[in-house]
Amino acid sequence: MKYFLKKAGFMAFTVFAVCALTFFLMNVIPGGTAELILKHTLIGLEESATEEQLIQFSSRYNLDDPLYLQFFSWVKEAVLRGDMGTSYVYKKPVIYLLALRLPATVQLAGASMALAIVVGVSLGIYSALQENRISDHILRIITLFGVSMPGFWVALILILIFSLKLKLVPVSGYGNLENMLLPAAALSLHSIASIMRVTRTSMLETLGQEYIRFAKAKGLPVWKIISRHALKNAMLPVITVIGFQTGSLLGGAVVIEKIFAWPGIGGLLVDSISARDLPVVQGCVLAIVTMYLLVHFLVDMLYTHLDPRIRYG
Amino acid sequence: MSLLEVKDLSVEFPSGENTVKAVSHVSFEIREGETFGIIGESGSGKSVIGLSLLRLLPANAKVSGRVFFQGQDLLSLKPSELRKIRGKKISLMPQNPAGALNPVLKNGLQIEEVFEGNRDEKKEGMKKALELMKQLFLRDPEKLCTLYPHQLSGGMRQRLTACISLSFEPEILVADEPTKGLDPEAKAGAVDVFTKIKTEYKKTMLLITHDLDLAFEVCDRIAVMYAGEIVELDQASKVLSTPLHPYTKGLIQAHPRNGLVPLSGQSPSRIKLPEGCLFHERCRYSDVECSIKHPEIKYYNGGLIRCHFLSLK
Repeated sequence: MKYFLKKAGFMAFTVFAVCALTFFLMNVIPGGTAELILKHTLIGLEESATEEQLIQFSSRYNLDDPLYLQFFSWVKEAVLRGDMGTSYVYKKPVIYLLALRLPATVQLAGASMALAIVVGVSLGIYSALQENRISDHILRIITLFGVSMPGFWVALILILIFSLKLKLVPVSGYGNLENMLLPAAALSLHSIASIMRVTRTSMLETLGQEYIRFAKAKGLPVWKIISRHALKNAMLPVITVIGFQTGSLLGGAVVIEKIFAWPGIGGLLVDSISARDLPVVQGCVLAIVTMYLLVHFLVDMLYTHLDPRIRYG
Repeated sequence: MSLLEVKDLSVEFPSGENTVKAVSHVSFEIREGETFGIIGESGSGKSVIGLSLLRLLPANAKVSGRVFFQGQDLLSLKPSELRKIRGKKISLMPQNPAGALNPVLKNGLQIEEVFEGNRDEKKEGMKKALELMKQLFLRDPEKLCTLYPHQLSGGMRQRLTACISLSFEPEILVADEPTKGLDPEAKAGAVDVFTKIKTEYKKTMLLITHDLDLAFEVCDRIAVMYAGEIVELDQASKVLSTPLHPYTKGLIQAHPRNGLVPLSGQSPSRIKLPEGCLFHERCRYSDVECSIKHPEIKYYNGGLIRCHFLSLK
């Protein structure tokens, strides 16, 4: 219990630190916030804003206050009333925008993660069992490509092949399973390769352990040795990597969503950064950080479940 | 009557461009009800023999020869047939009980999985196993089954692995250095355990050890191994009290109780074996003949010995 409190406190602190960092970094970017927002909303990008418009806009959103005051009033509102502010561009509460966009991102990231785990782990096991045979070598070469190719490039290639040439799936869109195929594939490729590599290594190490030999000596069938004796032991490093991959997946989702016009928070975040829509950026970062921390918390819990020697005190 | 017959067993491991000759042309038989010991220093090939009987060596090992058990050659058996013998008819008691127990599985499951078949058969088997645990000086076996291996002491783990190996009532028990890494008290306990297995259960055993005390207490016949070969094979009392081979003499003198006189030199490289007798470089009695001609194993005074020195006597 004490551990959970400690962990929760630590997570809260991390969230706070990330929000603070985002806030101040956003204000370090050159170009006045008020001017950029005005250009994006009222007057168009080519026009320049008048002095009067700038003053009016700044005073409406307290943009002339010192930064720390702006930040603390944002934190106060967020913590006390759950109000993360109002978008400068959309004129809607940030909570509402997130609620609109978050499900799509969770869907895409979740599908990619599931794909990465299922494919990565099973190919990793297969590769380990086929150690140094042809199929193992081929798989290892493919994973080398998988970890080396950037996701956005893979996405473009996939669109080129499967949408434009073969016309199997639509280029973009949202709602159907077939819309999800390409973005999920592009997003998960890197994770599949990473998970597969670590599964193979970890599995090979486990298979060389004495308790595997003893399990063979007991006369157990191969599938039981793999599933009962090897897998649980080999999974510890794998779920660590899965935890880290969630981070890169959420980060990757920002770009991939933009490419496939996926209506998630990734697209929202990119647009908001260029429009200097600060409250929305804060909200998106907050959502991503929270998801990441929750996955890591889950991974920690899984450790104790997998290995009885691990105890948190 | 012989229960297990090993004929001309050789094991080689490829190592880069060379091959390591771990065991060369070893032949012996184990008679029903007897305890057959194999002694020798570390690296003499004892454990490799034990593992090769059940084909538990790594896949790169080259094994030749024949191992007859109940009219079948274990080395050419189909894997599915071999599985029926492993753990059921011939079981292995592994060295290093700490490593042989799977750290993430409960002790109970690790015993239970030896029994295959339906639930009733498993229950029946478990009942016998629990009884066996009590007899092997493990208190409160039901509770032990709900614990994980890391919650047991070294001696308890040793007795637990003994229990797992014996619970299916195998016809032959292969004990691979059962006292390795145990403290003196647990070692004394192990001697009790083996005496009990021998006298009360009348098991046929192959005891591989470098613990001369244990060998003296339990073995009926002993084979002494040096550099992958059997150099002497006779009744245990004869081998250990009036050894004939110079190596056996050295081995017994090196025992703390007999003055801790170390054998000079080191055992030969197994990649390039010396000419003549493998032991001649370290032998006090070696003669010209010893460095030229490799001695064959021959009958002498009821036992077997591989030495030219014999003819000089």
